[in-house]
Amino acid sequence: MTENIYAPHLVTIKQVRDEAEGVKTFKLAFNDAAVGETFTYRPGQFGEVTIFGVGEAPISITSSPVDKGYLELAVAGVGKVTRALHLKQQGDVIGFRGPYGNGFPFDEVKGNDILFVAGGIGLAPLRSLINQMFAERDKFGKIGILYGTRYPALLCFRDDIDRWAGLENSGVLLTVDTAPDNGWEGNIGVVGSLLPKTRIDLENTVAFVCGPPIMIHFVIMDLLKMGFGEDKIITTMERRMECGLGKCGHCNIGEKYVCLDGPVFSYQHLKELGESVELHTFGR
Amino acid sequence: MSEMKILDKAKLAEFIEKLGADFEVIVPQREDGNLVFGSLDHTQPVVEFTGKPLVPPKEYLFPQREELLTFTVKGKEIRVEAHLDNVKRVIWGIRPCDLAGIKTLDTIFLSNYTDNYYQARRENTILMGLNCNEPCSSGFCSPLGTGPFAKDSFDLLFTDLGNRFLIETGSEAGRELVASSADLFAEARDADKAKLKELEEKCKRAFKSPLPSTVDLATVSNKLSGAWSDALWTEESETCILCGGCNFVCPTCHCFNVEDVPAEQQGVSTRVRYWDSCQLGGFTQMAAENTRRTQAERLRQRVFHKLVYIPDKYNGAVGCTGCGRCIEVCPGEISITNILGRVMVK
Repeated sequence: MTENIYAPHLVTIKQVRDEAEGVKTFKLAFNDAAVGETFTYRPGQFGEVTIFGVGEAPISITSSPVDKGYLELAVAGVGKVTRALHLKQQGDVIGFRGPYGNGFPFDEVKGNDILFVAGGIGLAPLRSLINQMFAERDKFGKIGILYGTRYPALLCFRDDIDRWAGLENSGVLLTVDTAPDNGWEGNIGVVGSLLPKTRIDLENTVAFVCGPPIMIHFVIMDLLKMGFGEDKIITTMERRMECGLGKCGHCNIGEKYVCLDGPVFSYQHLKELGESVELHTFGR
Repeated sequence: MSEMKILDKAKLAEFIEKLGADFEVIVPQREDGNLVFGSLDHTQPVVEFTGKPLVPPKEYLFPQREELLTFTVKGKEIRVEAHLDNVKRVIWGIRPCDLAGIKTLDTIFLSNYTDNYYQARRENTILMGLNCNEPCSSGFCSPLGTGPFAKDSFDLLFTDLGNRFLIETGSEAGRELVASSADLFAEARDADKAKLKELEEKCKRAFKSPLPSTVDLATVSNKLSGAWSDALWTEESETCILCGGCNFVCPTCHCFNVEDVPAEQQGVSTRVRYWDSCQLGGFTQMAAENTRRTQAERLRQRVFHKLVYIPDKYNGAVGCTGCGRCIEVCPGEISITNILGRVMVK
């Protein structure tokens, strides 16, 4: 029989890390070593995660293709499947199929300065790309990372952030919407408020933006105001998905399916999708 | 090469009965006053009927609810089993609009990632079409080119010539079925073939399509795009009661939900999929927001998906077959032909 496109592979949880408040990172390895060896993906792609007996949900991959032998998913426990995943422990077996979607442009943006703007758990897919870029450091110019969450306890990937901040020709700026607890000395404000603190060569910079839709909307408006070209703003779309394979119809926008043609779009292409832009401009 | 044969109507029952030895035979039947497709075991086929069955025979290729996988969990041992339907079926009496619908479903389910479940059923199903000698109520296949006589996507195609059927073969499988009951069939004469053309022309002339004659298929896609923000979507959707009927009777609707259902037995669960409707608010509901919040947006999605998105994405594939069922089923009298008529004069 040809491979069943809906059947998940079995994967074993090798490690569970508490990433941030309400967020855990799961390190996974395929039970079938042959599957693991042939599994390849690009930053920005996602998979469908099965918790047996509970259901399936699309989750972006946060590890990088340079990380051999395992996959990492950073997951906020907010829905039926993700809450069930949060109850899983090291050694437990779950399901995974993928990778799906187009992923971020990589070769296409070589030679440019790169600006990352992330909100909350939106850093998870960007982390995959950031680490892949740092693995080929000489192919890119300056790398700047702006990251914001609602409050400090929600900041993910603190170890990565410390490492990125120490790397040559790169910088990390953090912000939180509110800082009720003592000890926060960073910026306070939405992530867009970090943009004026940067020096950007507009001609040679590509911006990657990922986070909640409302954050993406305002950051894109800020970037456009700064003079970024529409084709130099790369972002991700979030839509309800069931299959990840372009069949179930839920993520359809225009003649595109977010699961096949996305989730990564340039702002230029996003605008052409019609419904996607309307979402951010009407009825709020 | 297509062959043309003649089968006396009196011999249809015998032909179908013979098929029953190797196939589950699906035929139109009367059920509670409605014409519906069902297994021949239950009742006799309705050989002579005008119009079309209440729903297309889509459910025999893409059931309303089907089991995809069963998971059996014993500690860290997990078994994943697929449920592929390999029952051999013949469906007789499929109208040209519904053959066109199956052609579109083939394109969607069998291209790119091949859907194993649809593929298993499709490869085991023989399609026997039945041309329409008379226009049906609400049907507008003629202006769309999907009927009233079929051109492709059948194994055998029947045309009612009065006391006998003219039969066209459309595939090797169809030719083999005819060959295996060769004694029942006669060669078609030139007069029979001439009659076929005559009946088609007569039916087309009789068409009182609810699709306004102003609707030009070459420009309707552009016209729709121009009407994207028009008030008509709000106006036309006002009577929608969110029943989803328009989706559930459509020959090309294929959207589905996936859900895991725990079995009584500890550790066993079944992953099922079932039809979903883009007219329901939950269709686009996510944790943080709903990306189509008004009925106007949902109605627009249905019409655009049929007339713009499917043709654009699948190289001119037919999104709307003109069967007219969505018009007939709608308690709010929402009509895709009225909408297209309004769009053309925008």
